[in-house]
Amino acid sequence: MADVFSNIGLGLSVAASLQNLVYCMLGVVLGTLVGVLPGVGPVTTVAMLLPISFTLEPTSALILMAGIYYGAQYGGSTTAILINIPGEASSVITSLDGHQMARQGRAGPALGIAALGSFFAGCVATFIIAFGAPPLAKLALQFGPAEYFSLMLCGLVAAVVLARGSIIKAIAMVVLGLLFGLAGSDVNSGIRRFTFDMQGLADGIEFVALSMAIYGIAEVAINLERRQEEAKKVSAVGKLMPSGAELRACTPSILRGTFLGSILGVLPGGGALLAAFAAYTLEKKVAKPPRKFGEGDIRGVAAPESANNAGAQTSFIPMLTLGIPSNPTMALMIGALMVHGITPGPRVMTDRPELFWGVVASMWIGNLMLVILNLPMVGIWVKLLRMPYRLMFPMIVGFCCIGAYTINANVADIAVLAFFTCFGYLCLKLDCEPAPLILGFVLGPMMEENLRRALLISRGDPMVFVETPISIGFLLAAAGLLLVVAAPAIRRKREEAMAE
Amino acid sequence: MNFARTMRALMVAPALCLMAGAALAQSYPNKPVRLVLPYSPGGIIDYVGRTMAQGLSTTLGQSVVAENRPGAGGITGTDTVARSAPDGYNLVLMDPAIVINPTLQASMPYDLFKQLTTVSIISTSPEVVVVAPDLPIKSLADLIAYGKANPGKLNFASAGIGTTPHLAGELFKQRTGIDATHVPYRSIGQSYPDMMNNKVQFAFSSIAGALPFTTDNRVRAIATTGNVRSNVYPDLPTVQETGLAGFEVDLWLGIFAPAATPADVIGKLNDAIRTTLKDPEVIKALAKVGVDPRGTTQKEGEAFLRDEFTKWKKVIEDGKIKEQQ
Repeated sequence: MADVFSNIGLGLSVAASLQNLVYCMLGVVLGTLVGVLPGVGPVTTVAMLLPISFTLEPTSALILMAGIYYGAQYGGSTTAILINIPGEASSVITSLDGHQMARQGRAGPALGIAALGSFFAGCVATFIIAFGAPPLAKLALQFGPAEYFSLMLCGLVAAVVLARGSIIKAIAMVVLGLLFGLAGSDVNSGIRRFTFDMQGLADGIEFVALSMAIYGIAEVAINLERRQEEAKKVSAVGKLMPSGAELRACTPSILRGTFLGSILGVLPGGGALLAAFAAYTLEKKVAKPPRKFGEGDIRGVAAPESANNAGAQTSFIPMLTLGIPSNPTMALMIGALMVHGITPGPRVMTDRPELFWGVVASMWIGNLMLVILNLPMVGIWVKLLRMPYRLMFPMIVGFCCIGAYTINANVADIAVLAFFTCFGYLCLKLDCEPAPLILGFVLGPMMEENLRRALLISRGDPMVFVETPISIGFLLAAAGLLLVVAAPAIRRKREEAMAE
Repeated sequence: MNFARTMRALMVAPALCLMAGAALAQSYPNKPVRLVLPYSPGGIIDYVGRTMAQGLSTTLGQSVVAENRPGAGGITGTDTVARSAPDGYNLVLMDPAIVINPTLQASMPYDLFKQLTTVSIISTSPEVVVVAPDLPIKSLADLIAYGKANPGKLNFASAGIGTTPHLAGELFKQRTGIDATHVPYRSIGQSYPDMMNNKVQFAFSSIAGALPFTTDNRVRAIATTGNVRSNVYPDLPTVQETGLAGFEVDLWLGIFAPAATPADVIGKLNDAIRTTLKDPEVIKALAKVGVDPRGTTQKEGEAFLRDEFTKWKKVIEDGKIKEQQ
């Protein structure tokens, strides 16, 4: 225990040096910027900065890159709330209630609680990394293909529970999402599926194009239909900060989100995204009534924002302690470390304590900087909403097109954007919620990959899924969730039948 | 339209083009050169590409801009260059996938040998054979013996269908006659947790991918696949030393240009590449990820490309890899 504190002390002394403070600041500012700008993601930014980082101290280089990574998480939620364009998969959830709040003139409190929740989660996650990195890394290693499959299955079932309104529609949307996710090259055979011989679809449907289309442009189209009333609503900007009552209501949500995010973030396969979804689902079930999720409930912003920030932070655990990258940005950081002659792995903590603890401490400092940076910005962002819709709509459409194109410089992505705009409009018209579709789309390919990998390794024996306690646990949880959903429906059916 | 005038124009046009070509070479390069990297940031190609772009900028006295164009296992980025203007301002850096794709894919958007030309094969890098630490396997001979004693029990990981780790594993199966199931991952790095847990038992990994796990023996490295020992693993024997004569897998990288690029421009580029590869800073940077500079002439490069194409085509056909689709 005393060790941990002396280590944190060492970390703070490294991170608080003038040079490292500057790099940390630079990182979070850049990160916030690329999070807000569509099309430029943290991966691109880190890749462009890579040659520069070779000339830096390895600790400074990693502090800079880490800053860009978690700074982008902040920036991504800003656009999700203000204009309903989630910059990253994990901010899809934020846009559900966040954008509704913005439309009700409560963008200020939404942005404020996102910043505060993220800051709190960031602080807690920093301590979790400090105290729990080695045992948590062991947990991550327990996850093989079978465990991942069961986890994803559980996530998909949760997506159905998560949806408001008709369960049948939610199931249909999840399945549609799974099907869209299947397009592209099959990992096991390399064969092209549902690409219609189009080179642009060889790697599947681009996530950013899909989510921008459904959340960004299709929403615009729907809003245009009821322009009159909307215009009035948005002009009332309201206060900038969450009130005391809102803060109190959000506290348990932030705690739950932070906890879930910290745990799920450790898993190398898409943990931060699952965390945001899981936190939101949990809130819908356990938050104190009155619950108005999907209609601008502030707890629907607080929980997933805390979860994805905690997850983003704890995803450094497998990278720093095992050398396993959770995502492309992490892969770049590992590359940068190797260039400096440091091979990421369990020995980094003992061989290069100043690097490990310096980076951990810098995350805490970086989170503080982000709050200081972002809270005053809330006022400026909210002013953006005063812009008349006739100016804002074309801008959103323009930004979405630029964003979709610049990810891969692929024209096909703009066609994807156009197609899913029509599709998303149709869904909204039919009152089908897109969130389960997005989750199915993101989890589907990972789930298929792990299912087939597990079966390849077991030589086709399905018992592999009930061999480990972790896998059994997730499967039972999925079954339990299904029962919860199905039970009232069954009861109603039976009552109807009895009445006849 | 006057027929004679048209004919004259048609005859003059190629001559004009040639003259333009000569003029081009003299002033080349007078604007930034684009070096397309057909993979996402983070891999060997990205790292070597950015290092080379920086080095070439100094040598050519004109900035060389690295640009990621990921997609379809390198096909998208390579295709962009195959279709671009043959003026020496469009180059692509590719790995062995460039000769594997034409055999493996049902259809290709470009013809490798007609639309692209090799400027130089710039580097060479062996793969390293890694095994799960739980197994009593300390050498390649152990691995072969284990495979023969436990038929149907071995799995080998790869970075996906048709990648060098996959085909190297296939070649190994074909040469030794052992039976092993191919388990593809999105990248070789992703497979390491499963190897540490003995879910997959061995892999032909890139050195950069293996280093974090072999330095502290979380997986065991047993051999490298070059024709000489690797500087990174000087204590490991090569696969050839252990008795598989002629077994060589090279994760080479080459720079390619559109086929119609004027010969003197290619020559100028080839010179610049070979000069850059002699720069101690560049050599040092490449060594960090286990890559050795090579720098062939254009002719050597072309011949090497053909050899590699034939070699992997045979492995793919003998392994009936396309039939598994």
